[in-house]
Amino acid sequence: MIRNYFKIALRNLWKNRTFTGLNIVGLTAAFGVAILLAIFSVFQLSFDRFHEHKNYLYQVYSEDSFLDGIEANISKSEPFAAALQNEITGVEKITRFNGSGVLLGYQEKELRMSGAYVDPDFFDMFSFPIIKGNSKDPITAESSIAITEVAAKRIFGEENAIGKTVTILRDEKEVPFTVSAIVEDFPITSSIGFDVILNFKSQGKYAYERTIGRWDVENHNVYMKLSKGIAASQFEKSTVDFTQLHYKDEIDMAKRDGVQPNSEGNYRQIKLLPLTDISFANFNQGPVTVNRTMPYLVLGIAILILFIACVNFINMSVAKSAQRLREIGMRKTLGANKKQLFFQFWGESVLVFLISISLGALMATLLLPSFQTLFRTEASFEILLNPSLLLVLGLSVLGITLVAGGYPALLMSRLGTIQSLKGKLESNGKNRLRNSLMVVQFSIAILLISGTLVLWSQVDFMRTKDLGFNKEQVIAFPLNGKRNDQQALKLLRDALQDKTNIVSVSASNNILGLGKDGSRSTSVLGFDHKGRGVETHMLVVDVDYIKTLDLNLIKGRSFRKNLASDSLSVIINESMAKQLSEEEILTAKLDLDDKSFSIVGVIKDFNFQELDQNIAPLSLFAHPNWNLRNAYVKVTPQNLEQAYNDVKAAWNSIEPNAEFQGSFLNENIDRTLRNERTMITMIGSGSILAIMLSCIGLFAMSMLIVSQRRKEIGVRKIVGASVSAITVLLTKDFLKLVVIAFLIATPIAWYAMNKWLQNYVYRIDLELWMFLIAGGISLLIAMLTIAGKTIGAATSNPVNSLRSE
Amino acid sequence: MLLELNNVTRIIKSGGKKITLLDNINLTVEEGEFISLMGPSGSGKSTLLNCIGMLDNFTEGNYQFLDELVEQMKEKQRAKLYKEYIGFVFQAYHLIDELTVYENIETPLLYKNIKSSERKALVGDILDRFNIVGKKDLFPTQLSGGQQQLVGIARALIGKPKLILADEPTGNLNSKQSEEIMELFSSLNKEGVTIIQATHSESNASYGSRVVNLLDGSIVTE
Repeated sequence: MIRNYFKIALRNLWKNRTFTGLNIVGLTAAFGVAILLAIFSVFQLSFDRFHEHKNYLYQVYSEDSFLDGIEANISKSEPFAAALQNEITGVEKITRFNGSGVLLGYQEKELRMSGAYVDPDFFDMFSFPIIKGNSKDPITAESSIAITEVAAKRIFGEENAIGKTVTILRDEKEVPFTVSAIVEDFPITSSIGFDVILNFKSQGKYAYERTIGRWDVENHNVYMKLSKGIAASQFEKSTVDFTQLHYKDEIDMAKRDGVQPNSEGNYRQIKLLPLTDISFANFNQGPVTVNRTMPYLVLGIAILILFIACVNFINMSVAKSAQRLREIGMRKTLGANKKQLFFQFWGESVLVFLISISLGALMATLLLPSFQTLFRTEASFEILLNPSLLLVLGLSVLGITLVAGGYPALLMSRLGTIQSLKGKLESNGKNRLRNSLMVVQFSIAILLISGTLVLWSQVDFMRTKDLGFNKEQVIAFPLNGKRNDQQALKLLRDALQDKTNIVSVSASNNILGLGKDGSRSTSVLGFDHKGRGVETHMLVVDVDYIKTLDLNLIKGRSFRKNLASDSLSVIINESMAKQLSEEEILTAKLDLDDKSFSIVGVIKDFNFQELDQNIAPLSLFAHPNWNLRNAYVKVTPQNLEQAYNDVKAAWNSIEPNAEFQGSFLNENIDRTLRNERTMITMIGSGSILAIMLSCIGLFAMSMLIVSQRRKEIGVRKIVGASVSAITVLLTKDFLKLVVIAFLIATPIAWYAMNKWLQNYVYRIDLELWMFLIAGGISLLIAMLTIAGKTIGAATSNPVNSLRSE
Repeated sequence: MLLELNNVTRIIKSGGKKITLLDNINLTVEEGEFISLMGPSGSGKSTLLNCIGMLDNFTEGNYQFLDELVEQMKEKQRAKLYKEYIGFVFQAYHLIDELTVYENIETPLLYKNIKSSERKALVGDILDRFNIVGKKDLFPTQLSGGQQQLVGIARALIGKPKLILADEPTGNLNSKQSEEIMELFSSLNKEGVTIIQATHSESNASYGSRVVNLLDGSIVTE
């Protein structure tokens, strides 16, 4: 029996090879892409899920109330962690965590590595297993260092690493550390990353010693493990007294300034963020929001694409079933029951699906490397090798084949014997289903196309927006060498002095956009000004910063060449000036840390942060001998490439062991838009696939309908219909569907895109044309798809079509 | 007695109007009979055949098949009954195009869950008997009309039915082919198979043992 079914299935599929082919092509493409997208989204969703205690691990942060609302603050002070553990029940383990780049030396080697300074509890909390060396207390001793397998390989090659001494550059001295343990390489799906781990107390003077016992210097993160049986919300509530004790000054000041407390009446609230939420959390806009939209959106696109391909399959199977009516009827008279017929037809579908899924998986395997590069993801098939996930996958494949293959099979097996033997199908209602499915298909396509257009416009807007500084001509790079920053800068200036294509050189302690090294920081300073608390971002700059970046000085002057003479001067931006609301801003002084700074200049606001945020108050300081971290070099607009190479050569001669990680600022800006770009590419390719698959379906339908209406077309031509009239007649019905789809999709797309754009302070306005273009593209492609078949039918000789009756 | 129809009627609704396809028909068929249903187009011959074959239902009256009341049976029982006892032959042959001659004949046995070796023997026998062994691997479209109908009859006979229902079995054939098919029916009848055929042709009817004339859904003469 099975063999008989199999045989007839193969013969049938071969007989209808056009349709089989269209189906297999469509389903293969859909499955291939869906597999890739699913991998991507599962990868994202599996972040930080490898920790054994993941359900009890939290990042501690606080929500602080300010005049302009609540801000999330993940930075904590040196005594905070210990105090929290001592004073509040529920803290089972706690660790401070400060990640920073370190310069590690071993024999002749000098390596930039990412380091993490943590407390000894760290290894008991997180699942970073130690595979060699001291697994009990690897970093309890302040002279020890734990390194990952990868780092060990980089530093020591095949040598045994345990017990070896390496040096870390700290406060301009090479401090020796002994390798105590090797940490097993952890999954890439970890938001905590490091090459080497050191004791928190092993940090430099500025980061640690200076901060001991001070509650007002907040420079690191804190993670804790909550005791079993205590809910996070319960813990958060129990910290009210703790904050009132330790942040009394801040709270008193907030009260004085008339700040609105949060809904519970607290000005500061300690909060716990689950570890598994960290990679989806946004700390930039008021209270922390955890947002998994991106992976779910990607998964959604995968499902939509599969849906479109399945609709094609259902529509084609149902339409083709008309040609098999006699077979169905005959089998019934020969004694087949409904169940047997159902399984026969369903089996045929399963065959097609199995072929498509195998080809799709093959396609995904072949495309995976390009997919990984394109989306900068390290997601791979391994991520799916997890029993429960495989079960879900298997079940969903079964579900899809059951629905897509089962529906037509059910329809066919239920037909009456006599009716099917006569070869006639009652075809009301069924067309309604087909039409609605096609409308849904095109709605999805239009939704995705208009989404792509809006996203693209927004990203283009952000890329090309005037940010208030010169991003085309300025090369920025991290000062990542061994020399101290001032020395390195001086050498750089000397080296570039005579070059005609270099305009000016400067530096600051923060980067604009996102550099090649991927590091950036935020420093916010809060102080009292005339009995009011004010807050400002703080940027320490070198000579010529304003000139190098083409910032617009509105009032006052720039810093002098002799930076030391300006060490008590500050230049502020417009929003800072607005916040201070002084009548004569240039006479005002800022009192902080027992020092008084005079405002010597005001610059026009520029977007020193990303475009999803308003321009915050900013103050530029000119501390000589400060850690400056990033150099900025403005070059002449002619031959930017040559200029880049000159800067690179100069840096290489100054720091031969350091990698030059320079890039133009507009590249840095582009880098901050990576997420948006990934989304564009995903939704964009999704929309291309969606429209293609929809058109495959449309093409198949037009083929079937034209063949079903051959006689009608013939008769119409005989009674005098013109070719164009018939083409219009045949095309009209399909285009109507696209128009309905447009009307359905546009409001949904409008709503969704509008919501997405709310994420950006600087955004485009939605315009009708974006949606009209999406609709127009779909309509045009649909028209082209069916044109061939309909015109062919309209021009054919009616005698031929009538003879067939 | 093989089957008995008592005052059976079939009425359908079409476009809000009631149409009487069969009107108060009484008919008794004994085993071994060869009955020809005659009458003009639309007189109800095919409907009557379909209802006897349980592909369709009478809307009124009693239908007894082998002493069982058909209208009281469930769909499944009915299917079992006709699988067991009835074979169908159609004017348009209704062979499955995707299957070979051999596979077409084999299909009813598959639905009866007969073992492979037994199937082989049965199909082999009938191919022999109908002299179409050489055609067994051909597809229906490669055969002439007469040959296709031969396969159709072979398929109807493979399950060893008591009753063959033939709806215009020679309607698509020329006179020579028709004659051969009718000869075949006649010899099958002599072996004990009951046959009811619907036909337009007097000469076909002459092969039968009894002629029933239908007009507008009623039996006019016997």
